[in-house]
Amino acid sequence: MARKQGDDGNDTEVRNENRLSRRDFVTKGAVAGLGGAALAGPEGRAQARSTGTDDIAWDYDVDVVIAGGGCAGLTAAIRARDLGATVLVVDQNFDLGGRMLHSGSFVSLGGGDPVQRRDMNGESDREGFITADPVEDPAELDDSVDLLFTDLTDWSVLDRKAQSPYRYNERELVRAWAENCPATRQFLTDNYVRFARVNGTHGGGGLSRARGARCFLMLGDRTDMKAGTITAEDAGVADPERTSAFAPVQMTNMSRFVAPGAVGNGVALARPLEFSAREKGVEFMLHRSFEELVREQPVAGRILGIRARYSPRRHPETGELMQSYWQNGNVDERRETVHIRARKGVILASGGHAGNPQVRSMFYPAMREPAFPTSGLALQGQKSQDASALIAGLRVGANLAGMQQNLSYSTTFHISTRLGTRDAYTTMMPGHPTFGFRGSAGVNVGNAGFEEFIVVNQVGQRFFNEVRLPRRPGLNAYPGDGGAPGQGLEHTPQDWRNCRKEWVQEMYGHDHGLDAALAMNEGSEPPDYYSGPIWAIFDQDAVERTGWELRYPYVADNGYFFQADTIEELAEKIAAGHEFQRVPLKHLADTVATWNRHVDAGADPEFEREVDAPMNRIAAPPFYALSIMVVWHDSYGGLRVNGRQQVVDMQGEVIPGLYAGGEAVGGFNKHGLGKGHVHGYIAGTHAAGEPSA
Amino acid sequence: MRRSGRNAPRLKPAAGVLGAWVLIAPAAAAGQAGGAAGFERGLELYENHCALCHQSSGEGNPPTFPALNGNDRLADSVGIVRNIYRGAGTMPPFPDLGVEDISALANYVRDAWENDFPEVTADDVAAALEGLDDAGGTVSVWDGVFTEVQANRGQAAYTGACAICHGRRLNGAPDDPDMRSTPPLARAAFLREWDGRSLAALFEYTRATMPEDNPNSLTDPEYVDVIAYMLSVGGMPAGPDALPTDPQRLSRIAIGPQP
Repeated sequence: MARKQGDDGNDTEVRNENRLSRRDFVTKGAVAGLGGAALAGPEGRAQARSTGTDDIAWDYDVDVVIAGGGCAGLTAAIRARDLGATVLVVDQNFDLGGRMLHSGSFVSLGGGDPVQRRDMNGESDREGFITADPVEDPAELDDSVDLLFTDLTDWSVLDRKAQSPYRYNERELVRAWAENCPATRQFLTDNYVRFARVNGTHGGGGLSRARGARCFLMLGDRTDMKAGTITAEDAGVADPERTSAFAPVQMTNMSRFVAPGAVGNGVALARPLEFSAREKGVEFMLHRSFEELVREQPVAGRILGIRARYSPRRHPETGELMQSYWQNGNVDERRETVHIRARKGVILASGGHAGNPQVRSMFYPAMREPAFPTSGLALQGQKSQDASALIAGLRVGANLAGMQQNLSYSTTFHISTRLGTRDAYTTMMPGHPTFGFRGSAGVNVGNAGFEEFIVVNQVGQRFFNEVRLPRRPGLNAYPGDGGAPGQGLEHTPQDWRNCRKEWVQEMYGHDHGLDAALAMNEGSEPPDYYSGPIWAIFDQDAVERTGWELRYPYVADNGYFFQADTIEELAEKIAAGHEFQRVPLKHLADTVATWNRHVDAGADPEFEREVDAPMNRIAAPPFYALSIMVVWHDSYGGLRVNGRQQVVDMQGEVIPGLYAGGEAVGGFNKHGLGKGHVHGYIAGTHAAGEPSA
Repeated sequence: MRRSGRNAPRLKPAAGVLGAWVLIAPAAAAGQAGGAAGFERGLELYENHCALCHQSSGEGNPPTFPALNGNDRLADSVGIVRNIYRGAGTMPPFPDLGVEDISALANYVRDAWENDFPEVTADDVAAALEGLDDAGGTVSVWDGVFTEVQANRGQAAYTGACAICHGRRLNGAPDDPDMRSTPPLARAAFLREWDGRSLAALFEYTRATMPEDNPNSLTDPEYVDVIAYMLSVGGMPAGPDALPTDPQRLSRIAIGPQP
């Protein structure tokens, strides 16, 4: 459906370059938002005003162009297609689903949505898969749009870092979201997504009611989105150490929330939506990274389309171009750069900035450290969460919102308990083609595992009480019961007692270990003063105590796991074998010796470990090192949008033809999928309803 | 510092003593269970015997001396009576306390501070202590106290109900990285936490609190099956007989390190 213009079969990269050279752009000043050069000087600016955008050679022409095929993008695509628009989705990855695909599929909506009502009435799903009783009491499911709106703009609720998750939310954005939650739940259900029993609420989804449900498929003899079934092999449950190209993350047992034989996670959300989008005629240009918006004038006029660059993802072992699981609807386009005309609108759903250290530094300079990537690195690739929407939006005059809200959710950045892999957020086993990018699945030791070792920085020095290092602060809490899911009825919204000083002092629970991990040390050098990698150091006795399986696929010879007969040798191996180890771990041997003396004395004067857990000597060879990752997971600051998901400029005016949703937008501190799906639903609705330019 | 439960001195009650308790129990139940006098007696006993470690505030000094204020384990009335009588983990036994004093003390800690657990009558105390007089005494979780079939059943129940939070390896590491870590349910860290307690305590605690979002939603056989699975993952051997659901019998199986 995407009309490819001038496609005579002879296009080559060379010819494309000739037709749309960088020099042409600068000379003609034709296109706004194409980088600094065109806008740099007075000449370019004047020419841009005078000549307009008539000279752009559009390679494709559709009604709605969507940057990003994740939870916001796929939802927007289906919605716009349902309303009659032609839709082309570009995505930098080789397959669809974005981070939704490796998520837990916990979709918090609410406002009296159809799944809340279903569980309230004790009903099964329409296909009759669900035989488990509702988890939540009916009163916990008795929700309304007004209550949801109140919850998510509540000034009085604090989290255990004493930060306020809802106070700074954009009212118009949240109101529109709340009003569209019930319709979006129905929409997802109508597109083959099956929701298990409601079970609590995901972070940022309010306190008053239970609003979250995970997605499921039923194990069967074939994988069929229409039937709602999946084979054990495709689900990754046939072998505990293997997953599939269909499910990058092994699906988990959902019997308690559905029925025996149910499995779930983001696969049961992303694949059904993708299947539906392809079935309905949405088209996809994969391996294609969104770069720039094309606007009539640099910071004025309508958004006309996008420029996107070829971003091939090649198989880590064979080097071949990787292929998406399903192919129907794919547009095989390999030219370096293409321009795509959007007759009705562009929807930015290309994610946040968690993978862009330079943009991250705006929020936390120490997180400019490139040793620490964002989540889902192997699956999503280097261009994931690269702040492309934020950067392109700024270039055409967009405003930002909620820039401080990155600091208000406890998984935004955290220390992962999955050790020994660079891709430490995601569970992925061999069987998915991108496993090679991580090389090892990692060893998830849990918080309790941190009692078994010491943790050192890049020069081999301890820096924090290890037991407290991985602890994440609790989510939003109100007086009485701590705000656990299923107890929302005790919550009084907008009550001053929710944040009275005495309560906050009582519930405060942040250990700041992550901040110590990012601290400067002897190896930090100007100008960036990188803190460097951090390492768990332990011995064979710790392995005996814990049962950690230090073998493939959990660990591998990939620079994130080391083993040696002496501590000195271990330090040398780390320094030689880890890509971000910039200095030798010169203190490691002394640190271990000192630790062993502390163990013998029964006290750790530096970090008071004896207060929290037994201390064990590190003395029985072989000795081991596992990498510990600081993960910046999700993004909250981003483009400012209104209640129609239209991007708003610095003057408070809508940028015509430009929409954004999900992690590309700011001003809405709600974690996860529930935000993205509703944003996509709203954006798809309004973009499809625009007059055709 | 930490004394192993297996090495803690234990005092087996003599049959004659228990008989006497049973005889006086009705009078105690009718007369002075609960009430202001019982609470004052409990406070006196608490300050004499318990406050050194658990503090007058009930806040304790974790992890060595657990807080009693807000401690869900106090819900297990049988467990608390027995812990007072014969000790538990680092806690010494108090064999000289009679039925009435144990009742008063149990009621005090279950009712003091912010606690609000129901009353333990002298009858209850006598009944709880009577179970100790059964032949056989205490065995260890290492003595083959569950069957392999039961552990396999437990794995299925665990995977459906527990793994989402406690992780497929029972080490407290959920697969979903958005979820927080939880306590390990097997191996050394688990044994350390539960050292000196009985399987009855574990059973009652689990049944009363888990799954966190829907406690007591499994059947009793499922709960003991899950416990059997936890033990098997921790390397404890299976035996000829399955774990029972009877807390009295479970109370005679002690959790402790490998002999």
